[in-house]
Amino acid sequence: MITIVDSGIANLGSVLAAFRRVGAETRVTRSAADVESASALVLPGVGAFKDGMDSLRQHGLAEPLRQAVGRGTPILGICLGLQLLADASEEFGTHDGLGLVRGRVVRLAPRNAGERVPNIGWCDVRVKPNARVFVGVPTGSCYFVHSYYLRCAQASDAVAWIEFGGGPVTAAVERGNVFGTQFHPEKSQDIGLAVLHNYVRIADTIPT
Amino acid sequence: MTTSSAVRPRVIPVLLLKHGVIVRSQLFTVHQVIGNPMSTVERYSQWNADELIVLDIGQGEDHHDLRRDDLQQSYPGTSAIDVLLEIAKVCFMPLTFGGRITAIADIESRLAAGADKVTLNTAAFDNPRFVEQAARRFGSQCIVVSIDARAEASGWQVFVSGGRRPTGLDPAEWAREMQSRGAGEIFLNSIDRDGSGVGYDLALLGHVTAAVSIPVVACGGVGRYEHFAPAIRDAGAAAAAAANIFHFFELSYPHAKRACEEAGVNVRPVRLGSRLLPREPEYDRDFEDRKIAARLRQAREEDYPAARPDAARRRRPIKWCTECVYPSISAAPLEFDEAGVCTGCQMARMKATIPTSEWTRRRELLKALLEKYRCRDGSRHDVVVAVSGGKDSYFQVHMLKEEFGMNPLLVTYDGNNWTDVGWRNMLRMRESFDVDHILVRPSVATLKKLNRLAFVIMGDMNWHAHVGIMTVPMAVAAGHRIPLVFYGEHGFTDLCGQFSMDDFPEVVYRGRLEHYARGYEWTYFVGRDGLTERDLALYRYPTDRDILDLDLRGLFLGNFVYWEANEHIRLVTERYGFEVSDEPFDRTYRRMSNLDDMHENGAHDYLKFVKFGYGRATDHACKDVRAGLMTRERALELIAHYDPVKPRDLQRWFSYVGMTEDEFDRIADTFRDPRVWRRDGGRWLKDDPASGPVERAPRAAERGKA
Repeated sequence: MITIVDSGIANLGSVLAAFRRVGAETRVTRSAADVESASALVLPGVGAFKDGMDSLRQHGLAEPLRQAVGRGTPILGICLGLQLLADASEEFGTHDGLGLVRGRVVRLAPRNAGERVPNIGWCDVRVKPNARVFVGVPTGSCYFVHSYYLRCAQASDAVAWIEFGGGPVTAAVERGNVFGTQFHPEKSQDIGLAVLHNYVRIADTIPT
Repeated sequence: MTTSSAVRPRVIPVLLLKHGVIVRSQLFTVHQVIGNPMSTVERYSQWNADELIVLDIGQGEDHHDLRRDDLQQSYPGTSAIDVLLEIAKVCFMPLTFGGRITAIADIESRLAAGADKVTLNTAAFDNPRFVEQAARRFGSQCIVVSIDARAEASGWQVFVSGGRRPTGLDPAEWAREMQSRGAGEIFLNSIDRDGSGVGYDLALLGHVTAAVSIPVVACGGVGRYEHFAPAIRDAGAAAAAAANIFHFFELSYPHAKRACEEAGVNVRPVRLGSRLLPREPEYDRDFEDRKIAARLRQAREEDYPAARPDAARRRRPIKWCTECVYPSISAAPLEFDEAGVCTGCQMARMKATIPTSEWTRRRELLKALLEKYRCRDGSRHDVVVAVSGGKDSYFQVHMLKEEFGMNPLLVTYDGNNWTDVGWRNMLRMRESFDVDHILVRPSVATLKKLNRLAFVIMGDMNWHAHVGIMTVPMAVAAGHRIPLVFYGEHGFTDLCGQFSMDDFPEVVYRGRLEHYARGYEWTYFVGRDGLTERDLALYRYPTDRDILDLDLRGLFLGNFVYWEANEHIRLVTERYGFEVSDEPFDRTYRRMSNLDDMHENGAHDYLKFVKFGYGRATDHACKDVRAGLMTRERALELIAHYDPVKPRDLQRWFSYVGMTEDEFDRIADTFRDPRVWRRDGGRWLKDDPASGPVERAPRAAERGKA
């Protein structure tokens, strides 16, 4: 059972449809109790960082999320959901995140022709060979919509990148039971579905 | 491979949604019905499309209706949001939804229902500040401003309100203003190129892309796969979009991508066959079991949906074409123009104006195609011809073998419903034409199960025949590595004007699944009545990968050769010994169609009448009216006489599958469409084009009482 956290700022319908397509049972929740009892969590999100954190705090979900993940419950953050896992973000001021992945969320700095902010569209993703959510996933491009990205404090946490502004930009993170994608797997067709399918399988094998 | 720092240019299919169905469009005015939105969207997911744009182009009331209830896929409500919710369930790519958006709340509801972006068009013109408000609220990334422009003597002009209202604005200036107000993307459509197939208006496109820094999506005019690349490569578009072309040909999207790659455009490469996006639907077994059980209960308790008190709410005023007499609630999808003339008549009129020189040109096109695919080394046949043994089959083989010198392989699906004359005609072909002929004959036990099941599930015992005919020749061709398959006429183009004569539509999986199978793939039957995968192997369609690798194409000869059925009959009887039946049909006045399947003009067609209130006599009479062979008055007489007749072949069917007439009638009545039928004092009534309400034929049980 995949517990999808409804922070009130996500494209829940698309995320749900994608998890159903890969055969997962799902439930959507705003309740702290459900987060605490979850066997696997998904934190989707679109919009601004501060709105996202405010919403989690308002619903009393920030601390339960931290504790559940601390106990070993797997979590997958998607897009803004990934950024919320970080220590802090520089989007419109500096704001604290959930602190589940070391690093700060910083603005994309375009440098090459054709690069725009927000970066919207299909970008080629380079993947670290042993990244767990990419096992057996065909190489190719994924769908991104973002103006900020997570600059990991520990290089080993980043497991996928796109090229932007003359260097690598984090496209996915993995650290123990914490996973995140800057791209939208639910909108990235066969590759995205394969990533979600992998997460579902990983979640099944992590004892909680 | 080096990773590219820029985002990949996109190729985007556009779906035009009008009053509940997907349509193709010409010059913003003629709209022909393609079909069900969900099955089309699913196909684009299977093809790994970059993005999808769905535009609700209906005017007036926000009322969406699939116009029939016997399809596997449908949406539960009637609003644009109801359609969007169902589309979003099968869409794993970014989805842009447009149409009928005039307020912030409209955007909110569309994003909540599964859209990633929305398009604003007329609302942006009427109130440019709306774009600012929308961008501030939802972010520029989800606000696309759609611009419809028409080429004029000097430059271009923006039109709004579905291309009908001029604005006096230059599209580049307008795009720049929209960008400054917060639009994240421009969707630029050329009105005069719409449906033309001559390619994008690259000058217009360059004019606009030079004026803005936000991405511009090009649309309008694509007629060949080669048309996509120049929009991106030469005119600066971030994406190349098209609507019509994707409906016409199999694997159109992968072909478009390949053409872009060949032209040096760095699109996402084609990928097919993900096991997470299977082409054959995976059905929710529990849900479907409950549906079937509910129908059987309705039949038992005579609780017919069309007879319920709430059915009145769903009744729609039926329109009949003012030229022929085709009804608006029908198994064949059509639309009407403002004078009430159906697309079938519009297309027939267009076809009649095709000059001889054009038919000569089409013959040359066909010749070139045949030469391209002809076998050079004798290792295989040149073409497969799908034949039922009817007059059209004879004509096709005559054309391909005698006129074009091809070595055809004839393939016939044997559904075990032959008339005696039909059987003799079919068997004769091998000798009369001196050709090879493969008969594909499913086991009779399997056929009986499929007849019975399909009747209960979708109100049509001939699922096996429709799917078999559209599957078996393609599968044989794939198996023998023969890339070309010929069918006769494109049925829906002829009957309801589904495509224009310049579209040259080919056989596509989507059409097979949606129209011939009504959304019920062979996988649906596995595990029902003891049917196994092995029993259904003959109904498996070649895989997308096989189709693409072989470049397998199913063509309709009627798109290339002038088709006048009444003239073919003389040729085929005199030259090849084709036998005309002297036995009249119960349900139509014509004598020479469907001799291969006694139920096609009989029991199957009777069920069309039970569902929609009309039958084959209407089909035939409408074609004859369009051809100038019959007056509308005579058509109405024939229809009134033939359409309600309960045919005699039903008796054979009852004993064939082991069903009583009472059981049949009860199940059939569950399929009566509430849009058409009402029940009054135990009788089924409907409106009639000529004489007001007519009654249905009395039921067996009632006849017994009388």
